[in-house]
Amino acid sequence: MSETTAIGGPSRFRSSGRWLTSGLQHAYIWLWMALFVLPFLTTVYRSLEDPKGGYSFEGYRFAFGSFQDALILSLQTTIVTIVLNILISIPAAYAIVRYPIPGKRTILAALNVSLYTPGAVMGLSLSLLFAYRLSSIQGSFWALVAAYVVGTFPLMLIPVIVALRDLPTVFGEAARTLGAGRWRTLLRVEIPLLGPGITAGILLTFVIVFNEFLVTLFIAGKGNQTAALTIYNILARAGFAPSTAALASIMQFTSFVVVLLFFKVFGSRYLKGTYLG
Amino acid sequence: MAEVVVDTPVPPRSTVGDESRDWRKALTGVGLLAPAIVIAIIFSIIPLIYLINVSLTRESTFFFNNPQYTFDNYRLIWNRYLPHVWTTIRLATLASLFCLIFGYPFAYILVRKVQYRDLVRILMTFPLFGPLYLTYGIRFVFGVNGPLAPLFDFIGVDSRTLLFAYPEQMTIFGMAVFTFPFMVMNVVAALTNVDPTLEEAARTLGSRPWQVFTRVLFPLSWPGVLAGFLICFGWNLGVFIVPMLLGNIEQQRVLSLALYQKAMSQFDYGLGSAMGVVLMLLAFTVTWLSLRFSRGALAT
Repeated sequence: MSETTAIGGPSRFRSSGRWLTSGLQHAYIWLWMALFVLPFLTTVYRSLEDPKGGYSFEGYRFAFGSFQDALILSLQTTIVTIVLNILISIPAAYAIVRYPIPGKRTILAALNVSLYTPGAVMGLSLSLLFAYRLSSIQGSFWALVAAYVVGTFPLMLIPVIVALRDLPTVFGEAARTLGAGRWRTLLRVEIPLLGPGITAGILLTFVIVFNEFLVTLFIAGKGNQTAALTIYNILARAGFAPSTAALASIMQFTSFVVVLLFFKVFGSRYLKGTYLG
Repeated sequence: MAEVVVDTPVPPRSTVGDESRDWRKALTGVGLLAPAIVIAIIFSIIPLIYLINVSLTRESTFFFNNPQYTFDNYRLIWNRYLPHVWTTIRLATLASLFCLIFGYPFAYILVRKVQYRDLVRILMTFPLFGPLYLTYGIRFVFGVNGPLAPLFDFIGVDSRTLLFAYPEQMTIFGMAVFTFPFMVMNVVAALTNVDPTLEEAARTLGSRPWQVFTRVLFPLSWPGVLAGFLICFGWNLGVFIVPMLLGNIEQQRVLSLALYQKAMSQFDYGLGSAMGVVLMLLAFTVTWLSLRFSRGALAT
């Protein structure tokens, strides 16, 4: 890992050894980067193959045709989940950082339980709940949204808490002193300052909810198949097909573009301490 | 996923009448927290209570008028499905070890030598889009006519049978690639806090490279290593799609897959829930350990 410097050794040998170690180190990083990207690139390549031979966009035509509803449902659930996460997490973060509440640690731990529950366990337990008590929303759009919200709002809560802790109270106090009301201070001063934390939460929620299939597998109704679940279902029943490869490519490409946009606009510093580090 | 250390603001205690104001403030705080708490209780805590409840009933009798309470499901797990528990733990351990062994050098090079860190970070998000696409892609990468086929043929491995010849290795590899970023992030966080001059000092004082590692680097970064290992382990315990696509019968004996088959295909909700409870206990133990060791400073 680190180069040895042979004291008194011939200097040309020493520097060529250093070049070699350094080259190997970078090669190691690039090898792993290739491993991260290669599954995606190969999926894209396979999605362009025509079953009859040659290459075509047939898979994509199929994906945007037959799977259109699934893609739209994925987008809808993701957007609704993001909105609900924001509405739930910002007040909760304020309460946790700014208000004296007894048993704060216990409350935070209870809120995070869903993060630590394995997907299959969460899916099964939610399916029991929907079957036994909440049969009115069983298998519906809102059942999916409820599962996604409970599974991901802690991911929004944490960056907002971190941002709020770093935000000095003086800005709010100054605004209040200068005559702004409580709501005006909140909307015009504090929430804009929390923006990056909230955006990090939005990114995390997007990446997870948009691609979630396991919990969905347990609770989705017949007419409510998200795109990721569609990929799984076809995979489980019919094996590999260019159309699912196309769908998987579209999903990964969309997620990647969102991540890229985030990095471009905000950089990586607001993701510290979260899932995307 | 981070445990957040919360600084409680010191309440002012100067004037009389603050006590009632504190009360009102606490009430407002609880009000602000209420939506989050209600959601967590209804859709996370109560379902888990149902899960435990159902695991104590026979098959799907929970949903009928007179559920039959019994410990048979747990007895059955103990007698027949213990291999599933062990396979789950074995695969998770091996995959996490793989992450540790290959992730530590990766994180070290990333922190000390690499200038293009943001590029690495961005590409590292691909596995985080989920094990479904990742495993799907790995099937293509190592499958017939995959991009690495010439390489494998060159080193004498038959690329046409690669996927089926090494199910255990492929499964562990697939799980490890998915959790690799979690390991790297934790070790990176730990190594960033290690002053590089300490390594130089050790080297100047005559330490060999491996001594620098065992005496300086590792002792200073081990909380991050442990946190990373436990987080990888926690994710890998819930593994579902990777053994399904990359493993054979042997690797598919994991709890997540088994509980899906039992509960959703055979409608044996009792046994499926009992497996879920076992898996949940394993996962919560691991989470508890990782939060303890990381002291809330490091994150998933």
